[in-house]
Amino acid sequence: MKLLNTVAALALMAGAAGAAEMGAVDEPIKLAINEWTGQHITTHVAGEMLKAAGYDVEYVTAGMMNQFQALADGEIAATLEIWSSNVSDEYAKQVAAGGVVELGDLGLAAREGIAYPAHVADLCPGLPAWEALKDCAQVFASAETIPMGRLVDYPADWGTPGADRMTGFALPFKAVPAGSEGALIAELRASTERKSPLLITFWQPHWAMSAYDVKFVELPVGNEECFTDPAWGPNPNAVNDCDFAPSRIFKGGWSGLEDKWPAAYEILSNYQLAVEDQQPMMGAIDVDGGTVEAVVGEWMAANEAKWKPVVDAATK
Amino acid sequence: MSALLKLSPGLRAALITVLTGALCLALEPVAPWLVKWPADWTLPATEWVGAALEWLLGGIKPLARWFSGLLGYPMAWANAALTQTPWPLIIGITTAIGWYLGGLAMAALGFVGLSFVLTSGYWQESMNTLSLVAVSVPLALIIGGAIGILANEAPRIKPAVQGVLDVMQTVPTFAYLTPLLLLFGFGPVVGLIASAIYAAPPMARNVLLGLERVESEIKEAAVMSGGTRAQQLFLVEIPSASLQIMVGVNQCLMAALSMVIIAAVIGGNNDIGWEVLLQMRKANFGPALLAGLVIVVFAIVIDRMSGALATERKRYDPRVAYGILALAILAALLAARFLPGPPSWSLFDGAAQWVDDGLGAFNTEHGAKLTDFKNNTMFFAFLPLRIGLDDAVLPFTWGFQWTNAMSLWFFGVAGALAGVLWATGRPVAGLMLLIAAGVIETGVANLPWPFLFVALGALGWVSAGRNLAVMVVVLLSTILLSGLWEPAMLSLYLSGISVFACAIVGGLLGVLCAISPLAWRFIRPVCDMLQTIPLFVFLIPVLMFFQIGEFSAFLAICLYAIVPMIRYTRHGLANTPGDLVEAAVASGATPMQILRDVRAPYAAPTILLGLNQTILYAFAMLVIAALIGTTGLGQSVFLAIGQADVGLGISAGAAMAILALIADRLVQGLAEERRRALGL
Repeated sequence: MKLLNTVAALALMAGAAGAAEMGAVDEPIKLAINEWTGQHITTHVAGEMLKAAGYDVEYVTAGMMNQFQALADGEIAATLEIWSSNVSDEYAKQVAAGGVVELGDLGLAAREGIAYPAHVADLCPGLPAWEALKDCAQVFASAETIPMGRLVDYPADWGTPGADRMTGFALPFKAVPAGSEGALIAELRASTERKSPLLITFWQPHWAMSAYDVKFVELPVGNEECFTDPAWGPNPNAVNDCDFAPSRIFKGGWSGLEDKWPAAYEILSNYQLAVEDQQPMMGAIDVDGGTVEAVVGEWMAANEAKWKPVVDAATK
Repeated sequence: MSALLKLSPGLRAALITVLTGALCLALEPVAPWLVKWPADWTLPATEWVGAALEWLLGGIKPLARWFSGLLGYPMAWANAALTQTPWPLIIGITTAIGWYLGGLAMAALGFVGLSFVLTSGYWQESMNTLSLVAVSVPLALIIGGAIGILANEAPRIKPAVQGVLDVMQTVPTFAYLTPLLLLFGFGPVVGLIASAIYAAPPMARNVLLGLERVESEIKEAAVMSGGTRAQQLFLVEIPSASLQIMVGVNQCLMAALSMVIIAAVIGGNNDIGWEVLLQMRKANFGPALLAGLVIVVFAIVIDRMSGALATERKRYDPRVAYGILALAILAALLAARFLPGPPSWSLFDGAAQWVDDGLGAFNTEHGAKLTDFKNNTMFFAFLPLRIGLDDAVLPFTWGFQWTNAMSLWFFGVAGALAGVLWATGRPVAGLMLLIAAGVIETGVANLPWPFLFVALGALGWVSAGRNLAVMVVVLLSTILLSGLWEPAMLSLYLSGISVFACAIVGGLLGVLCAISPLAWRFIRPVCDMLQTIPLFVFLIPVLMFFQIGEFSAFLAICLYAIVPMIRYTRHGLANTPGDLVEAAVASGATPMQILRDVRAPYAAPTILLGLNQTILYAFAMLVIAALIGTTGLGQSVFLAIGQADVGLGISAGAAMAILALIADRLVQGLAEERRRALGL
């Protein structure tokens, strides 16, 4: 990843994206702070890069679902960690209306899947192979789902990828929507404390992956056909009988960003952050109790090679 | 038909309901549309609402943006004032006001309360929260006051105004969050407006009540001295109503504080509610509770002080207050000299961690028992009520399969019991038993809609006459036609079962508190906390104990909705006029007899009002319950946010308000009828 970053930075210095105007340096660039720690890290790294370039940066708390109107109005300049798995349709609407532009991928390789805390492997021998779930469903049954097993799925407003998998693989599980991220975490925590069975739709990078020792169920790697052609995959009668399509994590900005702060637009567009960098910082904050500012500050000092070239390419 | 007309209204209504139910039950196999309203028959109402709103919002957007820009100024000023003022001075001012209003006890409350906020490490966030409340409350007071005066001046529009106030209080903010953001932009100002919308109705209701209660002699005196209408109103009537109006101010403050968490969901203000949300997202119960308690402390300090302002005429020596202020200024100077900025002490982090660990240990220890408890409740109470005995009784729940023969037996026994009741002169009770049997056999979520229309319409007719019956049916049909019937029935079931449990448990607790002042001393602070802490905090332990699903949602709703039931029951029973009780004692009644035959009938209207509040609270909690994975209207509201579907959000919110309004009007009607019957 480091190599890739360097290559990308070299390419930038060499070619198309040269140094840009600074623009309105006396006005602060407002970056959205959403509800989760990973996003705080992503945003603070970007903010520090902008500061290094000579900008004034302000962090504004903003609800993930409700921020896009503000982005279109220019009240927030950019939001840096949008997950395609749970982005509000409002984003597409605002992009279509011309208020919001995409600033490219963040480069954070996310993974989503059907997951379980490690101790569940003892309750359902055969995991992580997905076939094991066929015979274990009874173990996961609960009052709401009996006689089927229970899968804790994403909140309904994020979509129903877990339920789609259960239908796709014809597994005897009923998906229960979680309602909120807090509810997903509370389920993980309770299951770990009680050593009780739990099957859950989850993703990484997330601090809970290591805190609760979460493992993914192994599903056959899919391609386009898996989602369109029932014949593809282990279940000849249904689509979705494969692993999750990789979810895209990208950055969004106000459409006026490029004109007002051209160099900042370039920095934010080229900004990349790898899971290997974000995940340890998340641990340092959520598990070891560090502050975002201190942890990000340390990382910035120790990893100048990863971000400095992007700033330099835009400003020098 | 003529025989039917001779019956009493209650009996007639019950008989028609039973007949409709039986008819639906018989026709169900041939006419499935009686239970499941076909999707083709729904009107695209949510789309119409969406389109109409888009058009409307586009039109008033510039005005709204101008307004929110305008509100940005006082917001910034309040924020600057509160965050720039040194913390010792703010604590000192609060303590001084406390002394002036309520003497030593109130001063101590202010001092200890704010010291807790300071040492919790959330001073900065708290001041951001306060600056929002400091602007939203005056705004709500102005709006509420204006509505109240308007309704008083033009009595013809009073029913409409009441309706608008009900809607403002029952449609959840989440339902109109997207249009609100579109209209007013982003940031604390939107939270401010949302909290003003919610906090204005109590003010309006109390202003109206106060003005209506001004004695006619006083009004006439003002007329005779030749004042214009405005002079009469502002110089005579409003001052005379000031006590009632101050109650409104107090309620308005509390309502605004309870909305802090919603403002945080929008964001833009790094406030204490945001902190609760972050901790809730990590399922950290201890830290979330700590942040929530900061809001409770503010609520209690503000409630007690504004309460004293409203009800107590006595004031304490201002010289002491000046002394406290002088001390505070000195402390501020010293702090500025030796301490840079507001301190970031967090003395309670250890305690928060301890609470959190304790919760985890309890969960580990008793997990199996909790699960058993939940499963039994689900199998034997919740599932039969939701999907009916015929679907809920299965080999792995009850140990056997429900058969048609059992259904026949079930109805046969119910019919026989009903016959016995009818024969012994209680025909209405007999028919009610039949209706209950039918509901349990079918399940609330599977009730045929014509049955519900007739049953609720008949109830409306009995309690308040034709107008209410028509209103109930019209409102219900809007839900049916907009295609939200299914989630609405799930919501009805969940709220219904919660209200039922709250009525019984809360009623018993209320009786206990009325009999034993000691019990009330313990239960009262718990009630205070449950009403002001952001309920998000309690979702964490409930979820950890009972997992995602309707049982957890049921508990979360009950935690909030049980409070009015306890309060009003106790209030009604404890405040029975002394002469009534004395007369009973003189005629040799035992305490139990007094409770049953004197206090309970007298308190019935008050208790019914408590029940009505419990119903409204239960519906208000549906949105919060959706965060722990209930399906129903609450989930529709969140789906609407995710899909940026303004029409769906507003329609689902409106359906919630409709169900709450129907329940409210029916209970009010019954209370009124009861009051008439008792001659009170």
